[in-house]
Amino acid sequence: MHPEISKRSSTSAAVVFDLLNPIPFGFFAGALIFDVIYARTADVLWIKSAAWLISIGLVFAIVPRLINLFRVWFPGSRRSTSREKAAFFVYLAGIAAAIVNAFVHSRDAYGAMPEGAWLSILTVTLLIAATVLVSLQQSHSYYDREQA
Amino acid sequence: MNDKKWTTVVPTVIVLAVALSGCGERAVVDPQQQMGKEPVLPVAKNFLIPPMQVPKGVGWQGDAHPTVASGLKIEKIADGLKHPRQLMTLPNGDVLVVESNGPGTEPVTTPKQLLAGLIKSRSGKGAKGGNRITLLRKQASTGKWEQHVFLEHLNSPFGLQLIGQTLYVADTDKIMKYAYTVGADSITDAGSELADLPDTINHHWTKSLLASPDGKKLFVGVGSNSNITENGLAVEYRRAAILEVDVASGASRVFATGLRNPTGLQWEPQSGKLWAIVNERDEIGADLVPDYMTAVQDGGFYGWPYSYYGQHVDQRVQPQRPDMVQKAIKPDFALTSHVAPLGLLFYTGSNLPAMYRGGAFVSEHGSWDRSPLSGYEVSYVKFVDGRPTGQKLPVVTGFASSDEKSLFGAPVGLAQSADGALLIADDVGNAVWSVTASGQ
Repeated sequence: MHPEISKRSSTSAAVVFDLLNPIPFGFFAGALIFDVIYARTADVLWIKSAAWLISIGLVFAIVPRLINLFRVWFPGSRRSTSREKAAFFVYLAGIAAAIVNAFVHSRDAYGAMPEGAWLSILTVTLLIAATVLVSLQQSHSYYDREQA
Repeated sequence: MNDKKWTTVVPTVIVLAVALSGCGERAVVDPQQQMGKEPVLPVAKNFLIPPMQVPKGVGWQGDAHPTVASGLKIEKIADGLKHPRQLMTLPNGDVLVVESNGPGTEPVTTPKQLLAGLIKSRSGKGAKGGNRITLLRKQASTGKWEQHVFLEHLNSPFGLQLIGQTLYVADTDKIMKYAYTVGADSITDAGSELADLPDTINHHWTKSLLASPDGKKLFVGVGSNSNITENGLAVEYRRAAILEVDVASGASRVFATGLRNPTGLQWEPQSGKLWAIVNERDEIGADLVPDYMTAVQDGGFYGWPYSYYGQHVDQRVQPQRPDMVQKAIKPDFALTSHVAPLGLLFYTGSNLPAMYRGGAFVSEHGSWDRSPLSGYEVSYVKFVDGRPTGQKLPVVTGFASSDEKSLFGAPVGLAQSADGALLIADDVGNAVWSVTASGQ
């Protein structure tokens, strides 16, 4: 591929990634809050809202996860680190939990509880863990550069 | 942690999670054990995807027709109808066919509803209704039934009753009354409203209707606004109930409650008691909860949503109500799970063989929430001294193909013709069938 085109496409991929990547976490965190409120109040407004948040969060996750997949497993000249690979799998597990959770949230009324709330906690925890791994990675590379 | 370990552990966990998810299971309880007074009730389960099987609606090809038990024959007396749901025979032998389907006013409030709508419409049960009533009249010379458009521009009508010279039609939102003269082939009266009926959401939209023998009251079956309170308890006001409407004033009261979707209101001829068939709740198993028929007591509470078959608590309902569970009356006769009964007829004629006299025919429309399929037939329950007894017997079958992939028809409303034939409305085949004794 022409080097300039490659550079431009990777820049736009980075922009798309940076825009979309935070969205699923926001939606899943919102769903967790709504699940907790539903578990305490049994007002169906909250569980229906949580179901939408999880489903829409999953839709928003598709593009940034594909970009991440290519970055981690087809890094080109730059080799991806074990932390990046670990973050990839932790995030993937989080998405798997969210998919199962979307089905749990399709149950009627309180049938979604307590599993729905636990899966929301699991999803959010895994996404936090994945984000922490990535952040550590970035601060390390920054530190390495400073040293050099 | 090294890469190799990650690459094996994580996919394994994901595969296990999906495997454990237990996608829709198949029925395991023998349907024979879920008929009658003491149905076997397995433990309730929650699913990621509930048991599901929807045959594709194809209609009847050529001369194809349902299969009848020995000693009977079947004949199509009307076709080309628009989703016929309910039948009533008039005093002069004319037959009214209510062509109707849900008003489609239930909003999509969950991601599930987006998908479920697509799956269920496959069967042809979701086809648009005619919102009208067609009159069928048998020509004395040919024996053929001619069709007349009797009454149009209705709003998802279902129940139909004639008291004297007044015809009552239960739209999904109100009971209308029209002047009717015996022998008329259409209604010219503009009609007037007798009483309004619960019509928010209309998750269950049918309003079945039955007049008291003295013609002073109308009983109205009103289904719940949810499977199991997933739309909140507020929208269940005066629902999952049978209402009693005063014919003179239009005033109404709640007669009985806890009946998730009561239809087929009928008077049992021996005891004079009010009977109903009820569609029970979904999504806690292919073998739960059996639909039923029951005598309905004034002031009786039959469990929905808090419990089923007496004191079997449904954990999906919050807040739980042990006081209501305590009160729940166990229904009289289980019809097995997810058969979706939508028509009931106590047969009082003498055309059919003796074994079909004195009991009740039940039409089973079939449900999406069971695999293998169940229902999709008309069956017969014997009554002795006003009480159901024994097992229900299949009478009219073959509405679904034997490989369970295609649906030719689905039985709904039942009626008895003037000469004692069993009439069946078929809202997937868009036809009306007449079952008589063979050899006549």
